[in-house]
Amino acid sequence: MKIKTEQIHFSEGLSLESGEKLDSFDLIIESYGELNESKSNAILLCHAFSGNHHAAGEDKELGIGWWDQIVGPKKAIDTEKYYVVCCNNLGGCAGSSGPTTINAATNKVFGKDFPLVTVDDWVNSQKMLMDKLDIPYWHLVAGGSLGGMQALQWSIAYPNKIKKAGIFAAAAKSSTQNIAMNEVARESIRKDKNFHNGDYYDHNVTPKNGIKTARMLGHITYLSEELMDSRFGRKFQDEASKVDQDVDFEVENYLQYKGEKFSEFFDANSYILMTKAMDGYDAGKDRDLEKAMENIKAELLIVGFYSDWLYPAERGKEIQIAGMNNNIKSSFVVFDGEHGHDSFLFHSKEYSNVIKKFIES
Amino acid sequence: MATKLSKIINHWVPENSKVIDFGCGDGSLLKELIETKNILGYGVEINNLKIEKCIEKGVPVIKQDIDKGMNEFKSSNFDLSIMARSIQCLKNPDLALNRMLELSKRCVVTLPNLGYWRCRINLASGKMPVTPELPSSWYETENIHLCTIKDFENLCKKENIKIKDKVFLNKDGSRGGLASIKPNLLAVEGVYLLEK
Repeated sequence: MKIKTEQIHFSEGLSLESGEKLDSFDLIIESYGELNESKSNAILLCHAFSGNHHAAGEDKELGIGWWDQIVGPKKAIDTEKYYVVCCNNLGGCAGSSGPTTINAATNKVFGKDFPLVTVDDWVNSQKMLMDKLDIPYWHLVAGGSLGGMQALQWSIAYPNKIKKAGIFAAAAKSSTQNIAMNEVARESIRKDKNFHNGDYYDHNVTPKNGIKTARMLGHITYLSEELMDSRFGRKFQDEASKVDQDVDFEVENYLQYKGEKFSEFFDANSYILMTKAMDGYDAGKDRDLEKAMENIKAELLIVGFYSDWLYPAERGKEIQIAGMNNNIKSSFVVFDGEHGHDSFLFHSKEYSNVIKKFIES
Repeated sequence: MATKLSKIINHWVPENSKVIDFGCGDGSLLKELIETKNILGYGVEINNLKIEKCIEKGVPVIKQDIDKGMNEFKSSNFDLSIMARSIQCLKNPDLALNRMLELSKRCVVTLPNLGYWRCRINLASGKMPVTPELPSSWYETENIHLCTIKDFENLCKKENIKIKDKVFLNKDGSRGGLASIKPNLLAVEGVYLLEK
């Protein structure tokens, strides 16, 4: 599969929900497949909090895309039939404007001064991207977790620009427990001695330990208890492959390894920004969800997983019910999902079939 | 769904109405109503393969175990709720009937008749009925609350549910004829339009 990577500059800037303004910004995007003549086959993928624009295929630097099991030739989201676009969200650290990019006004990296971005801001920037790519509407906007929130927000914010929304392992707003977990993660970053109140770039260090601990906690919340049991159980890590001498159990080794890898590339200020965006999203805003959804024209497919305790399936159902109360064509499907919250990333025959049939129906 | 049954139900469904079909199976009935009556239809189904068929047809569907509740659909203002050949599979058919009539002013219920003469012959010979309409053995059937036409109408009376219309089906799915002469003995299936 051919991967096309582009860095797109938006000199017109973007007014943010917070009231601040980005005078200009960049989005890095990948696209797969071709836009057809009638421009009716465009699909936008929205990534979850630590994801990026590399959704599918294999890249030398970025490895296998985060949704490669679902997106590709002849897969559920078929790149032979659809023109599929994915961008790194604003505030990220994979090439779009974010804390690690240079602020033109100061000629220094934004760092902690990168403005607070929200799901609404992301959707607005993706709309600008859509216009720039000369795409009249998305046949589908889809994503899991925080990506699902963007798909929902797309259907609310731009009802005429989206035909279908795929909202997977997501909710209309983060729960109190979600916010609490994220705060522990942020606290571990802030309390890292190398964080320097967010100005670690000046000191040529990164708060690696803080990011690592944050990610380790994250991984626990992404997996199900059952999967952890079956995958690691209480097995001891063998001496030869221990990443750290303090490690006893396999599960410790796994978390250490995953945390370490993540801390090598993910920016701490991005971590804080992205989790803040996740915590802050509430599709209902100060109104109720039903009211917020009243203008949706897109068909909705909401998928939940029984093994997901971070964004339980019931949260997805609330979106479906609010949709149905508004006479929106909306479906709610639940699968067992072996991988807890992460289940949305993985192919299973029934999950892929439902996505494929929803796109083509 | 047999086309004859869907024709009967079709007759009771107002144009452009909002309909919920409990135990919607592969979504055929809703699909037909969408095409012929321009309804806004939602199916409720528990089987993932059937859910997939609904989505393939473009019929909105909700995965839900009806036994675990129907209250969440209350705020959706349905004109009609349908439960075709499913009520006998529920833990609390009486509750389900009342719930449906809280969701919508009217509901359509169809059920297999255990009083059908073939079933009676089976029972008379000392065995649980196994007929073309009720093909599963007692230990594998999903039908945990089978009843006769008489039983069902008694339940409606007890619950103050009005029978606005009813149709009885013969073995071949046709209506009227023998089945309507003595439904409790001769009808294979009862089809009801109910109102509270």
